[in-house]
Amino acid sequence: MSIEITRRNFIQFLVGCVAGIHATPLPWKLTDDIAIWTQNWPWVPVPPVGEFTHVNSVCRLCPGGCGIKVRKVDERAVKIEGRTDYPLNPGGICPVGMGGLQLLYDETLRFPGPMKRVGPRGAGEFANISWEEALKLLNDRIARLRKEGRPQALAAVDGNPRRSTMSVMVERLLRAVGSRNYLNIPGAEDLSSMVGELMQGTEAPVAFDLENADYILSFGCGLLEGWGAPGRVLNAWGLWRSEPFKGKVRVVQIESRASNTASKADQWVPIKPGTETALALGLAHVIIKERLHDTRFVNDYAFGFNNWRSGYGKERMGFKEMVLKQYSPMRVAYVTGLNPDQIVSLAKEFARAKAPVAIFGKGKGNLSGSLYEAMAVHSLNALVGNINRPGGALVPEPLPLSSLPEVIPDDAARRGLEQGRLDQAGSWRYPFTRSLVNNLTEAILSASESPVDTLLIFSSNPAYTLPDGGAFRKALGKIPFLVSFSPFRDETALMCDLILPDHTYLEKMDDVAWPPGLQYPLYGVSRPVVDPLYNTKHAGDVIIHLAKGLGQAVGSAFPWKNYEEVLKARAKGLYEAGGGLTRFEEGQTPAWKMVNKASGSRPGYKSFDDMWKQIKGGGLWYKPSPAERNWEGLFKTPTGKFEFFSSRIELAFSRAAEKRPLQAVLKSMGVQQTGDEACMPHYEEPRLNVDRSAFPLQMVPYEMINLASDWIPNPPYLYKSLFDTQLLKDDSFAEINPKTAAKYGLKQGDLVMVKSPKGEVRVRLNLFEGAMPGMVYLPMGFGHTAYDEFLRGKGANPNDIVHGPKDPLSGYPIWWITPVKLVKV
Amino acid sequence: MEKEHGHGKHQYGMVIDLDKCTGCGTCMTACAAENNVSVRPDESDKQRSIAWMQLFKITNGKEFPHTEVSYFPRPCMHCNENGRGHHVSPCVSVCPPTATQLDLDTGIVSQIYTRCIGCRYCQAACPYKARYFNWWDGYFPKGKGLERYLSPEVSPRMRGVVEKCTFCHHRLMRAKTKAYAEGRREIEEGEYITACAEACPAQAITFGDLNNPKHKVSQLIKSPYAFRLLERLNTKPKVYYLSTKDWVRKMADNYLPGEFKPVTKIGG
Repeated sequence: MSIEITRRNFIQFLVGCVAGIHATPLPWKLTDDIAIWTQNWPWVPVPPVGEFTHVNSVCRLCPGGCGIKVRKVDERAVKIEGRTDYPLNPGGICPVGMGGLQLLYDETLRFPGPMKRVGPRGAGEFANISWEEALKLLNDRIARLRKEGRPQALAAVDGNPRRSTMSVMVERLLRAVGSRNYLNIPGAEDLSSMVGELMQGTEAPVAFDLENADYILSFGCGLLEGWGAPGRVLNAWGLWRSEPFKGKVRVVQIESRASNTASKADQWVPIKPGTETALALGLAHVIIKERLHDTRFVNDYAFGFNNWRSGYGKERMGFKEMVLKQYSPMRVAYVTGLNPDQIVSLAKEFARAKAPVAIFGKGKGNLSGSLYEAMAVHSLNALVGNINRPGGALVPEPLPLSSLPEVIPDDAARRGLEQGRLDQAGSWRYPFTRSLVNNLTEAILSASESPVDTLLIFSSNPAYTLPDGGAFRKALGKIPFLVSFSPFRDETALMCDLILPDHTYLEKMDDVAWPPGLQYPLYGVSRPVVDPLYNTKHAGDVIIHLAKGLGQAVGSAFPWKNYEEVLKARAKGLYEAGGGLTRFEEGQTPAWKMVNKASGSRPGYKSFDDMWKQIKGGGLWYKPSPAERNWEGLFKTPTGKFEFFSSRIELAFSRAAEKRPLQAVLKSMGVQQTGDEACMPHYEEPRLNVDRSAFPLQMVPYEMINLASDWIPNPPYLYKSLFDTQLLKDDSFAEINPKTAAKYGLKQGDLVMVKSPKGEVRVRLNLFEGAMPGMVYLPMGFGHTAYDEFLRGKGANPNDIVHGPKDPLSGYPIWWITPVKLVKV
Repeated sequence: MEKEHGHGKHQYGMVIDLDKCTGCGTCMTACAAENNVSVRPDESDKQRSIAWMQLFKITNGKEFPHTEVSYFPRPCMHCNENGRGHHVSPCVSVCPPTATQLDLDTGIVSQIYTRCIGCRYCQAACPYKARYFNWWDGYFPKGKGLERYLSPEVSPRMRGVVEKCTFCHHRLMRAKTKAYAEGRREIEEGEYITACAEACPAQAITFGDLNNPKHKVSQLIKSPYAFRLLERLNTKPKVYYLSTKDWVRKMADNYLPGEFKPVTKIGG
């Protein structure tokens, strides 16, 4: 029997099929099966379940030191959250801290154990060695230097925050070995210390009572880009925009580019980069001229405001005469690019506010700044008498940590310590600067043979982060033996001969000694959240071990069994100082409110051991004390007053001039002014010595809060939050004003080379109205050549092309005005 | 407002204060870390990269030096209606295998990955581009150790499915479990908040029950400065924004010239 296929029964068949398919479960079952089958590949991870716990600790990814709560499932850490029981950052943290687990668990970012370089420098080819062998290599090296009578050829570059116990340990090791060449990576805190020392007589960095201020005049501080302690500053920002402060707090951002801070501020004052000093002094001019300054403060508690007579009866110029004569709104307007009315109204607003505060420290504060500029800004706080007043700038007492017993150098060490520092910091040329990595670079590059034989590198990535046009990287190439303590495979570590990897911050105990700029002393201790994943060792323990292996003389400087004992020994001072708190409860009066009134704080501990147990168990020590303090006896300067005219600078000049003409002294210090102004904050246009017709534009690097630009690798999560006008495939973007683009015939997205006298980088262009015409803004944090596929080869590092002179007096590099040109690719 | 969110017992929602938002991106990182969102080596391809909470940058378009920048953090809006008066969100109304649903008791729009057939209908229907398609399996190469930070509370997704913000639904489960264990049937305000709200260092994000007049969110949405994105599509999103800046509010919808009404009278 056969069925004849006719049109009719063919259609019948089709209709039957369509009807039938709805009746049979087969296709649905198949679809479902396929779905299940395709969704259960063995390579799709299934996170194991387990017991949920959390560990309280402190974030040490930046000196800001937020409180963090880490959620764990059995032994795995699965999420980092902000702590609500921490006074600094009640609940919130920054995006880098939030992404911290990727730095812990991304194996290809890390060194799994001690290693020895086997390939060429920078190639990242290493062989595993044992800790014993690794420590012996370094030990022999240092012992040999001491035997040869040149222990000073051991140097260290340290990125640990100031005051931290690790920084004390590294410096101590060098001292015990016999070298003064301990260098800290310079940052805004150093500048703040210098301002404290020169103007207030206390080396502690100036602190700012931001939460209680009602007018914040920020000279380029990236308040929303990670300035100070980011957890605290961002929280303060939220407070300013909430009841009862909403509409009563005014934030004014002085910056050339519409950054997040500038845009979100109540007022954006765009000025030419590097002219902040002139603006600060212009504001001072108006304040003094309009008699809006605090006459009681400037007359009774300040030195060098009015003209004065020296011991020889010679009349000397005071701050008042200087600013009135030289910083009229007209002149300042010309220098800064503002109009004179703006300057006048800004000055009046600042001086008339109840609690105005002027703050300094460019961007995140990771990089150095200008000394005269910081002094000029701080003189505004003094002018309005808002020093040690609620909402003002504070002269902090140093954190009362115990000092460790004196190091007694042996003969070998003493010989080394008699040698001057290679970076000349503290010498007559740079009398107030603690360390100058840029000078070390110069010393190495200008010598035929590197004066440094062995360089130890701690918690820093100077080959990437220093704004020096790549000079430090070149210098590294000349140093015979490089040792990295970094847990991460960063650019500097890849050049090193020996890797002694530290734990990451989630695997170890370490301290945060007073986050930068905070108005009350705070000491936090991180604790191991997870056991060390790899064969790493705490750098503090390695130092102790190393010192003990170098013989009795060096070893006796480190009488402790382990690093925790050192932390405890220092923390004893906190107990002895008395009165601090070790607990902060959620919902408690915020610590910044307590500084408003004398607080009768009851410590929650019985003995030092009890206190230490609390601190190291995820607690902390803090001591909110009233901001209001008498100006009498507050300033420990030579004159006993706040100094507009720094007698320490004058003394440094005259001491240096004993052996050489004053003109030569000032010239070596890079100070152009020769009169009394040189001892006061004043504006000088930096001399670039570059043909500006060849490099008509200026490159200004800028920082972002969602891109780590310091030594910490950027957690990959953060790349999600970057826009495709910041990073596209492997190209980062330069921001320029559409007018500048039009002038050079450039369009959105164009590939260009940014060329400076130091080199060139390739970027794409993003036309941004918020960019000042004539400027080229390059983001920092791109252009890594190290780490893994998430970070490597993405974008350009502006540090590679930075070109500039040194900041007068401090000797820090000026990195914010590199002359460049754009060449279309 | 009550009427709008009147269905069901709870209507969880979010208020984001754009005056407070600093554009730092912590919400995005917190969200990705909380919800096991995979990170690929190239996240700059925004057509392919996945971000349940996405930050958008806007500028007022004025010339230097009057330029201003602001940010819109955009989670899933958890719409209550599809724009034509039907009580389903736009994505729910088009999903063939019911992989996404609007939960009436919580107002949360769920996403069930194992049901999703990857047709991407919902992505096309979503006016807020809050839905993301997995073009690849999650990026967890062997030997890299990235899978070690994954949370067991949220299942990692696989190639071929759509994912989106769930208002950290697992956190609601967590809070409920805790409440039940303590003999309570209801959870308190603040016991259940999303990872982004918790993480925001400037406290710009508030989360709570829009149906509960005592919750902060239900008070905040009464502000004259409160608005929603593309409000006139009538999708009734449960994510509100606050901004005192006219130009920011104006960006939230498409207005004809002269149509936008700035806030002139400030009540309460």
